[in-house]
Amino acid sequence: MTLKLGRQSFADDATLMMAIVNRTPDSFYDKGATWAEDKAFDRVVRVVDEGAEIVDIGGIKAAPGVFIDADEEKARVVGFVARVRDAFPDLVISVDTWRASVGRAVCEVGADVLNDAWGGADPALVDVAAEFDAAIICTHTGGATPRTRPFRVEYDDVVAAAITDTTAYAARALAAGVARDSIVIDPAHDFGKNTFHSLELTRRLHEMVATGWPVLVSLSNKDFVGESLDLPVGERLTGTLAATAISALAGARIYRVHEVVETRQVVDMVNTIAGRRPPQRAIRGLA
Amino acid sequence: MRVVLVPSTLALLPDYTSIEDPIADLRASVDAAVAWLLADGPAAVRGATPAAKRIGDELLGDYRGSGPGLLVVANGTATRTEKAPGHFDERAEGFDALVGAALRTGDFGPLADLDLDLAGELWAPDASALVALAGLVTTSAETDYDAAPYGVQYWVTRYTCAS
Repeated sequence: MTLKLGRQSFADDATLMMAIVNRTPDSFYDKGATWAEDKAFDRVVRVVDEGAEIVDIGGIKAAPGVFIDADEEKARVVGFVARVRDAFPDLVISVDTWRASVGRAVCEVGADVLNDAWGGADPALVDVAAEFDAAIICTHTGGATPRTRPFRVEYDDVVAAAITDTTAYAARALAAGVARDSIVIDPAHDFGKNTFHSLELTRRLHEMVATGWPVLVSLSNKDFVGESLDLPVGERLTGTLAATAISALAGARIYRVHEVVETRQVVDMVNTIAGRRPPQRAIRGLA
Repeated sequence: MRVVLVPSTLALLPDYTSIEDPIADLRASVDAAVAWLLADGPAAVRGATPAAKRIGDELLGDYRGSGPGLLVVANGTATRTEKAPGHFDERAEGFDALVGAALRTGDFGPLADLDLDLAGELWAPDASALVALAGLVTTSAETDYDAAPYGVQYWVTRYTCAS
């Protein structure tokens, strides 16, 4: 299905890199490296140069921590979105927020995508997406409260639960008036899940792809990679790329990443092996 | 009648399409020459290998017939450089120069005596199709492409012939 992300549309065989840009002092991977607005802007410039089609700007780290109210979240992201929009008129800008009030404020200054990492915690977010003709990412959190860690969560079938919840969310977005080709589903690795759940979602990602909704995966440097390999943050790139390869083979469309160049290479290589993408330039043995 | 020569590189086949065409210039010349050939009616394919015939069939598509035109599918040596498929052979340049002069002028006489054993050693498996040109009398000759981009000598040439 053609994917319409605000001002840009993408063919149904296109894979997209969504680069993470944190306007936070405390996110797990970069630990505030882009907390200063100019640093965050420098990262946008870099990831665009590296080929990212989407930037995903977030003002609140996912893990528990200091309470950030909507006004503080807006202070972190709205002006920044406006600045990025001004500098990159054609770039797809996503904002990682669960709050409708924040979603409205960023859409007013040019955001294209609302990445609801907390799975519909604020039911009015879909109405904002519909009003601004923005896209929405429908994630599965198993009903987790925003910014909580999973504690002894179990599922009869985590993949079935992820499909049921994300497609129900997608149906709700559609009913609210979001365009069908602007709705994406995301199993949300590690959100409301233990490592075994995230591994099973990766292994069975093709079942989510088979729903027909475009699938986003957010794997980058997460704990399920770290626990699988017993490696700390900072040493998880190889494991992340292995999970990326499996997800690409299953047919994921959007990759939310810290490392754009490496992920793009893996996704392109896998899709080339799968016969969905031609080689970039093949002459060996043919000349 | 119109006669066109194109090379027998497999990269011309749609099975081997890349995102960036490694033979974009060559393909443009081939496509233009084939279009010119078919503007005069259907054409027959002449090639010395199954691959050459397959390439010819692919290029002509529905316009493949018994004539009046003729599409010859062949190239020169594949031993022009260290990186060439057949590695470097110092005899290759002279061989290609001899063939190239005949193709450029349309004076095919020298092709009748082409050394096919040498051609084999220089990785030019299609050379017998070039020998067969020697029977043609040309009234015009145009060279659209003459280069060895991967150590393999390609020509795209067009002729009008009296017979």
